[in-house]
Amino acid sequence: MSNKMLTLMMGFVAFLILAVGVVFLIALAGGGDDDDGSPADGDGENNRSSTSGKICDGKSLIVPGDDPSSVLDPIQVADVSTAEYVVEIFGGLVTLDPDLKVQPDIAKEWTSSNGGKTYTFKLRDNVVFHSGTAKRVTANDFKYSIERAADPANASPTVLAYLGNIVGLKDRFQNKASSVTGVKVIDETTVQIDLVEPSDFFLSELTYPVAYVVDKEQIEGNARNWTQKPRGTGPFQLKEFKPAEKIVLAKNDRYHLGVAKLDEVVFELAGGSILTRYENNEIHIGGFPATQLDSIKSGQNPLSDDYREIPEMAVFYFTLNPQKAPFDDPKVRQAFAMSFDRQNINTVLLYDAYRVADGFMPPETPGYSESIKSYSYDPVKAKQLLQESRYAGKLPRIVLTYSGSGSAAPDLLVAIQKGWSDNLGVEIELQAVDSSAFLREQRKGQFQMQSDGWAADYPDPEDFLGKLFASDSSLNYARYKNDEVDALLRQARIETDRTKRFDLYRQAEQKIIDDATVIPTFWPVTHTLVKSCVKNLPSAALVIPKYRYVEIKDD
Amino acid sequence: MASETTVPVLLPEPELAPPRRFRTLRDLLRKKIALLAIAYLAIFYACGLLAPFIAPYGLNDQQLTVETRLQPPSADHLLGTDRLGRDMLTRVLYSARTTVVFTIVIVISGGLFLGLGLGLLAGYRGGWVDTAIMRTGEVLSGMPTLILMLAITASFRGRINSWSFWLEDHTFLGDDSKTLVKFTIISLATVPFAWLGSSRIVRSQVLAIREQAYVTAAESLGATTPRILIRHVLPGVMPLFLVGLSSGMAGIAGAEVALSYLGLGIDEPAASFGNLIGDVNGTRFFEQYPYLLVAGAGPVILFLFSWNLLGDALVDVFDRRQNSHR
Amino acid sequence: MGPGLAGYIIRRLLWAIPVLFLISITVFAMLRLAPGSPIDAILGQRYTEEQAAVLRDKYGYDDPLPVQYVKYIGNLAQGDLGVSTRHRDFTASEIIWPKIWISTQLGLIALVIVFGLGIPVGVYAAMARGTFIDPLTIAFWLAIEAIPTFVLVTLTSWFFALKLGVIDLGYEGVWTPNMIVPVLVMSLPGVAGVARFMRASVIGVLGEDYIRTARAKGLKEQTIVLTHITRNALLPMITVIGLSLPGITTGSLFVEVGFGIPGIANESLQAVLAPDYDVILALVLFGATLFVLANVAIDILYGFIDPRVRVGVGRGQ
Repeated sequence: MSNKMLTLMMGFVAFLILAVGVVFLIALAGGGDDDDGSPADGDGENNRSSTSGKICDGKSLIVPGDDPSSVLDPIQVADVSTAEYVVEIFGGLVTLDPDLKVQPDIAKEWTSSNGGKTYTFKLRDNVVFHSGTAKRVTANDFKYSIERAADPANASPTVLAYLGNIVGLKDRFQNKASSVTGVKVIDETTVQIDLVEPSDFFLSELTYPVAYVVDKEQIEGNARNWTQKPRGTGPFQLKEFKPAEKIVLAKNDRYHLGVAKLDEVVFELAGGSILTRYENNEIHIGGFPATQLDSIKSGQNPLSDDYREIPEMAVFYFTLNPQKAPFDDPKVRQAFAMSFDRQNINTVLLYDAYRVADGFMPPETPGYSESIKSYSYDPVKAKQLLQESRYAGKLPRIVLTYSGSGSAAPDLLVAIQKGWSDNLGVEIELQAVDSSAFLREQRKGQFQMQSDGWAADYPDPEDFLGKLFASDSSLNYARYKNDEVDALLRQARIETDRTKRFDLYRQAEQKIIDDATVIPTFWPVTHTLVKSCVKNLPSAALVIPKYRYVEIKDD
Repeated sequence: MASETTVPVLLPEPELAPPRRFRTLRDLLRKKIALLAIAYLAIFYACGLLAPFIAPYGLNDQQLTVETRLQPPSADHLLGTDRLGRDMLTRVLYSARTTVVFTIVIVISGGLFLGLGLGLLAGYRGGWVDTAIMRTGEVLSGMPTLILMLAITASFRGRINSWSFWLEDHTFLGDDSKTLVKFTIISLATVPFAWLGSSRIVRSQVLAIREQAYVTAAESLGATTPRILIRHVLPGVMPLFLVGLSSGMAGIAGAEVALSYLGLGIDEPAASFGNLIGDVNGTRFFEQYPYLLVAGAGPVILFLFSWNLLGDALVDVFDRRQNSHR
Repeated sequence: MGPGLAGYIIRRLLWAIPVLFLISITVFAMLRLAPGSPIDAILGQRYTEEQAAVLRDKYGYDDPLPVQYVKYIGNLAQGDLGVSTRHRDFTASEIIWPKIWISTQLGLIALVIVFGLGIPVGVYAAMARGTFIDPLTIAFWLAIEAIPTFVLVTLTSWFFALKLGVIDLGYEGVWTPNMIVPVLVMSLPGVAGVARFMRASVIGVLGEDYIRTARAKGLKEQTIVLTHITRNALLPMITVIGLSLPGITTGSLFVEVGFGIPGIANESLQAVLAPDYDVILALVLFGATLFVLANVAIDILYGFIDPRVRVGVGRGQ
């Protein structure tokens, strides 16, 4: 009797498993058109199997992406994740090519006069905004766009930093004027921009999104929602935007610098295990975790052929707050700078994932100089410096804050912490804080020591040194103040001879590093995997419009 | 108590009773499993409490060279070493300590006792007592637990330092202050949600039992409330409550592991299985260094498993005793 | 449904209002008083007081807290859940509903599997009580339950995607083969709980008089198991099922993060870390409302299935 029961129940279990299976099968059969049917997806992708051929068919590039942390409005962009999309959708007078040289975009040519204080741009006459109306871009659109960026009501976080040199812009931003007098419409295809002081890097600044052109008609017609379907002039237009799910860019058929070869770029935002998905031929571009670089660098890994190292124009560093004990004593700062072995950590722990930072600016930056030297590993000297300092034997508690919400503290910081402990006998505490709280602490100068990073917005020493270390810069969160450095930076800013200018920056950089308010640690490198059928993907150290060059082609 | 046992006992033992030899086998297996579980838990708790004394290395003893890191298990390092060349066994022992302390703290702090006590009270007393308890429960349980736990821990995280430094300077706690503060925070995030499920189950059981003839009879015979609760209602509620208690233990330990995995629980300078696993988790990493994930996750999985088994065995033993009463 | 029950339901629903108020006030205060704000997150390193002031004004963070709260409730009453600051200028509704829908579909499939497997496994184990099959079955499911989800995610994606290469891992919609593994990872750990509960419940019922009576009357075993044992053992299960229902809408954090599913749990984590005030509040209130409704529904169901409870409830008031 009990046996009968068992049979019955087992039958029931089997039935249920079967039922669930059938439900899935039915779902699979109907799955093809069930989901958000973007038509261009249709060409054979639903049936993507693990054969590597499939992903190389078609003209749709699938890449992992980050959720933009700002709106897709050029004047609001302040972060890499948003810029990635904005540079593809919008465009300005000038742009950067894959070699990070300034190239014409909407302006076809320009002249500078008045000792470098006036720029006159001649516009192309065939540039149109996205969408069917094909509205042509004129000089008035640039006037509007810059006025809009400077409008205090729009609170652009970047306009002052990048366009503040334009005559009248600061006044407009501080609501002391009703327009930006330095931007003049000469005729429909000519814009003239007057600067307060001559600048060798003004064109570089113009490549940053805040200077991009936007469509007045659209913005004034739909002030709240226009960024969900923005009309720019870039090589791609926004086709679909599902927050935290995906962003689809479709090619702009009327792009003035050559229409993209891809039909679409699909950014998948939801995360997941990117490497596994790459290996599984689900995406074209993937990241490779630094923790396993050994296998790929030694060529053992089958993915080695797809692997690419892309240096970033960025730097990691520690900021030691010179207004807080014990870092108000330069000797303590120098001791900290000398007492961890960056080379060993990079080689052993990180498989040479980064480059040890000898200076502050990475080698990709124009004006980089090999002569800059940062403090090298010297535990004996470090200990001695600490002994000589005011805080010898009575160091206060030291907390190193870093922005993060991962599980354990990054290995990198734990290893450096250990270096300080072994060599200086100082036990510092690692403290993770959420990024918004981290930034607030940074801004208010409440921290003792922070783990920081800076990525360039445009390729010029000014974007590293002037922005972060001039005592009057709003980005100088290290509270760094050195009169000599200030003088050098001010001189460099208005110097129009490039060689002389770079030399001034070089002097400033060495002084900044010697002061040890910041300890540069590493220059980061992006470890990327690219499928062999993806051709011509530029490896740029900065965010630049790059997908228009790409082609998917099997050899 | 005669009233509830007389009637059923008149009935013969049901035919359902399995053949004798199966029963013996079952008992044996059952006991063995329970014993194994208890043995493992005892070892785990002992190791956890004694971690600082039995750990072969210091928690943060790094050996950052190519040869000494990411080692497979060996005589020197029984569970291998991690990326920074730290001994995995040591980290596991210290993580066990965190788990042990946390489970004890939560049970003592009354999450589960609240669950049982309030459930009994609500179910038995009914009326406004029931309403008050259950609505309070709804206020808390109505909140999506996960978001709330995250929000609580995230909003306190920024203040961890100031609190722990105060403790360090003003009390005898010294270096343990920071860990204590973190414990308090995740306890605060866990306890409010730890009693609801069990108290609700207890209450619904009480509601059903209360209406049964034997309880009504005892009531009419003038038995006092505590007496009725303890003698009549509690035994009926116990099996389900024990299910709740035992799986609750696993759940509580699991919550700490999960929060720490997300970086919102226990972290440096103390160790936790959450960030231990976070360190060695990952599909590729697992393929390359499977022993690290096994070493990191294995002990805590067995711990949770043992609690589950023990709870299950307890229920069974309890059920049998109750059945034989009848 | 008698007038007593109708009154009872109305009272329960009226109770829900102050409960929801309390929840919203608590969470609102907790969020606003936490360190870090959406403004910091938006402006990042480029923060200046002027821009912060503009944004505070735009999102209404300038007002005193009570005023902000009253305004929030006012908007809520008109169905406006507020604005997301993490996904800037999308409304909270635009963010949460599609994600809740994704998570709910997955949760529902998982729920069906959990109970579809758990209930028969429980009955099976209970009926096999006394043999080694019972403890082994239960132990098997308990072992699966003990594995933390984030480890299970790693193990399954390694095994199915890398080792076997039979599945893709990316999210391409709920009803795709890619979701088979995530759904299994969501559901299998839950089976043990349901099975154990069901098993205990069945064993409880087995000792009841009416089962003995039924057996004594010589009814067929199938009839006894299906109509008497299972039916009665399912009664306490109603609470469990009912209480699981609101839970399916919140998604499984580690599964969504691990498999890259753009569901609501994934969003919740990011919203809390950002922080994204209005989205968090909307999620909390949504969850709470659902939960309160589920509670009412359970009590009503109880009234239908076991009239004794209804009488009891009536007497208790």
